[in-house]
Amino acid sequence: MKTIHEIEITTTEVILDRKPITVQESGDKMLVELYRRYVGDYPKFFKMDTLSRLGFIAAELLLKQSAISGEQSVDAIILANRSASIKNDTDYLATISNGNYYPSPALFVYTLPNIVAGEIAIRHHIQGETAFYILDTPEQLEQIIQSTLQAQGTTQRTALAGWCECSEANKFYAKIQLLRTI
Amino acid sequence: MEQLIEQLKSQIIEALNFEDLTPADIETDAPLFGEGLGLDSIDALELIMLMDREYGIKLADPKAGKAIFQSVRTMAEYINANRTK
Repeated sequence: MKTIHEIEITTTEVILDRKPITVQESGDKMLVELYRRYVGDYPKFFKMDTLSRLGFIAAELLLKQSAISGEQSVDAIILANRSASIKNDTDYLATISNGNYYPSPALFVYTLPNIVAGEIAIRHHIQGETAFYILDTPEQLEQIIQSTLQAQGTTQRTALAGWCECSEANKFYAKIQLLRTI
Repeated sequence: MEQLIEQLKSQIIEALNFEDLTPADIETDAPLFGEGLGLDSIDALELIMLMDREYGIKLADPKAGKAIFQSVRTMAEYINANRTK
């Protein structure tokens, strides 16, 4: 398996293909800063929860790199994390905690972690498999990615795969790669 | 009616998290779904909640939604005729 491009996003840093991207903001505001600088034409971004914003921005930057270097399209999305959608689950719970509440459909829809994979697939018209695993460590994901992609025999496949974690407000981490089977 | 239309635009921006939009960016007669603002089915649910929360209107007939949510103006007209608060 070959890594074509790689992005790592912490709450204060963005590293794309081992080169840092300068950012002024941190945490959630940094994701908005990156959206405004590199995307700007997808207002649905503002409706997303932090986990989806994180995965969305990571995919945007990765796939821009991929387009620049003329690579083929993505066949599959394989993501994982440890905390599922706990941050948005907690936010949603807070909105329905008193007796006289109006539950928000827009918040509720993000109470599943796999929504981030769907958001990326919709944005980039990726029609292959999408999967989101809840795992203890990123190392466990490597085995899953290998077995998933290699199960397709000799066909060359490209996947957007990696760790996408947001456990609470302004606490997130993503390391996502564009991988190709050799 | 014009005051209600402007108020409704602000409430739509807030309810749907359109952080980059101002009321002036929303055309009063433009389609809310498909073209125009490009809203989806989840947004439709948010608009139904907004009408209940802000104006005391409960939409009993889902089929009526298509005509009510055609544009900001059609929403405002419906609210004006049916509001309980």
